[in-house]
Amino acid sequence: MTARVVVTGVGLQTALGADVPSTWARLVRGERALGPVTLFDTEGFRARIGGEVRTPLAEGHKDDPSWSRTTAMAMAAAREAIEGAGLTRRPEAMRVGLVVGGTVGGMFETEDLLARFHSEPGAREVLARMLSHPLTATSDRLERDLGPFVRVRTLSSACSGGANALVVGATWLVLGLVDAVIAGASDALCRLTWSGFNALGAMDPEPCRPFDMRRRGLSLGEGAGFVVLERDQGARARGAAAIVELAGWAIGSEAHHVTNPEASGAVPARLFGEALARARLRPADVDYVNAHGTGTPLNDAMETRALATALGAELKRVPVSSTKGQLGHTLGAAGAIEAIVGALAIRDGVVPPTGGLETPDPACALRHVIGAGEACDVGVVVSNSFGFGGMDAVLVLTAPGRADAPRATKERRVVVTGVARASAELPGTRMLSAVESELDPARARRLDRPSRIATALSVRALGTASPLAPSGRAGIVLGSAFGSVDGSCAFMHRLFEKGPRLVSPADFPNLVPSGPVGHASIYLERRGPALAVADLGASGESAIAQGLELIQSGDADQIVAGAFEEASDIVDRVLIALFAAAHPSSAVRTEGAGVLVLEDEETARVAGTTVLARLESVTVGRGDRPSVRPPRNPSRARIVAAYADAAVANVVAGTPWEPVTRIGVGTTAGDHEALGAIAACVAVELLSKGDEVDEALVLCADPPRGYALLLTRP
Amino acid sequence: MDLRSEIKGLIVTELNLVGRDPSTIGDDAPLFGEGSLGLDSLDALQLAMSLEERFGVRVPEGEEARPVFRSVAALAEFVERARGAAAGGT
Repeated sequence: MTARVVVTGVGLQTALGADVPSTWARLVRGERALGPVTLFDTEGFRARIGGEVRTPLAEGHKDDPSWSRTTAMAMAAAREAIEGAGLTRRPEAMRVGLVVGGTVGGMFETEDLLARFHSEPGAREVLARMLSHPLTATSDRLERDLGPFVRVRTLSSACSGGANALVVGATWLVLGLVDAVIAGASDALCRLTWSGFNALGAMDPEPCRPFDMRRRGLSLGEGAGFVVLERDQGARARGAAAIVELAGWAIGSEAHHVTNPEASGAVPARLFGEALARARLRPADVDYVNAHGTGTPLNDAMETRALATALGAELKRVPVSSTKGQLGHTLGAAGAIEAIVGALAIRDGVVPPTGGLETPDPACALRHVIGAGEACDVGVVVSNSFGFGGMDAVLVLTAPGRADAPRATKERRVVVTGVARASAELPGTRMLSAVESELDPARARRLDRPSRIATALSVRALGTASPLAPSGRAGIVLGSAFGSVDGSCAFMHRLFEKGPRLVSPADFPNLVPSGPVGHASIYLERRGPALAVADLGASGESAIAQGLELIQSGDADQIVAGAFEEASDIVDRVLIALFAAAHPSSAVRTEGAGVLVLEDEETARVAGTTVLARLESVTVGRGDRPSVRPPRNPSRARIVAAYADAAVANVVAGTPWEPVTRIGVGTTAGDHEALGAIAACVAVELLSKGDEVDEALVLCADPPRGYALLLTRP
Repeated sequence: MDLRSEIKGLIVTELNLVGRDPSTIGDDAPLFGEGSLGLDSLDALQLAMSLEERFGVRVPEGEEARPVFRSVAALAEFVERARGAAAGGT
């Protein structure tokens, strides 16, 4: 199992330009796009300037309430990347995937609705549109306009999400799941992030100055960056030129603090080394580092320490710069945008400067690029991205063929060693508070309710799993369809009601989609990959698929994977407004969560851990039936799904799985979007307790999202 | 309730120090750093926001905030002074 992964197309929309050529030319000249923000009123905030995109946005579809600035920028960047790669018309047999990272989704548009909801809580047309902008909205729109795609993933890891989108795309290619991937991220400016970073005191009132003596914080920006990734043989076969190779990557978590980086930079330094090792390169090979470089006092000093550890004697030689003084911090999009900047540095032999940097801080003793870009030979670039919750990602880009061919890794089989689930059964009820009370109150004091549920169930599931030390190989992936809806609404109401100074800084990090995953990684001291995923009703299946892939690709040995969904007054009110007339009983949702511990089989064997089930395969039948091998003995097989209804019957009709007994978990585990994860838990229980079942197929009843998880008795 | 007790109550509820009896927080005990209540910079921000909301005062930031956040006594003294100034008293 090995492949060189190359970038064959790049696309950008940023505050500096509507595409790659304009953004790049201005970036190299040292131009800065940080000016007064006009999208919303910034009166009373610490900072009133940011990197707002002023070039025209792609026009929305008139009848699509999910359209947002985030989607518009993603569409433009993805189209540019696809055109550049020559894939506007793609060969029919080509299997193409889509990975979209981001943090806020359509929050900017939702905020307008929230402002109206605040003054007229009963307005039906407001309620009807309130849930139009989940994180998945962007990927769904891209899928409709740019698809079909055989595999789609929507993910978030706060400010490292863009880098992680590229990592997920690369692992799909290495695992042979797709022939090409459109991967990238997009995040628009919005009042929620603006007031959150304001409350954290993290914003510089002046345009930010990464690494400078006078730096006082970050400047927020917005934008999108997308790339086309392919295996080099595939690109060559269709005559597409590789711009650069994505030769190495490493992702992991600091398990330290929800907003503050761990000061020594030990985890970023470790990941830097691991990413270079994957690319078969050494510090002496590095020609340029594109830093995370936010301009906050803590980040820049920590990052300097991390680079000093990782680069050693090479530190003085290697030019380092950050784009954030020119583009602003584009949050979830930053990692993708900066990977493209790294690719262009290699393509053109020029490294961009750090805008705003005049007098370097002695605590940031790096080989800075000041004023304008510098021409030099660039063959190897390392790009850093760090996110809330300490979720870090490091990418290594090289000139095509610069690095040795990647080492072949052996195929890894994945087993389940832990399982836990909980749910509220009756509409309108909440999950047992016993679940939350299993946590140490002092260590859990910062966790909001979704984080407590997710963390407590992870603790339970890990009780039977292999203890892993060092924990850098232990990760966590959790799915959620909507995230903290009520929390975000309460946060915004406070802003509308009391103004920017009385917004809660401690609540803000809980509201990013990766909040619960970050909290769980800290509580559980897991320093491996941590990701949040979203795929509406298939969020649990998506998380389990992501966990399987991370173990198969060798990025982790153990992943806690599952989904949680919190009951929400707002979601209930929206559903009642939308559906109550037609289905009065189905409008009220409950809540629930389910997690599995997935492990590399060899890791479990060495630790002597009892295997509960084998995760034989995860197939995705995006818009089509997933193709799964026939059951070995239909009478000893089961199909487990949210509901054993006509949709599921239809998926297996005419296949060897048709006669297999179908079990629906929805009646006893409530009605919510985490039912897929609960179905997976039930399947593991069937296989590990009793001896009537040898194979269980977990089916997603939503064919457009079409996951099928095949679990077998060990 | 006197101001110091009120601030102690605010610390426990706003920072979710579950199980901590507010009256066991010493008036002059350090809130941050080694051998303290164990609060960090995110707690300081949350506490500053709650003080502004509860007492209608404007809490200083950065270096200026350091002496104010030393202890409950220092916080109470600051609130008293700031409220007095706002009322045009002293």
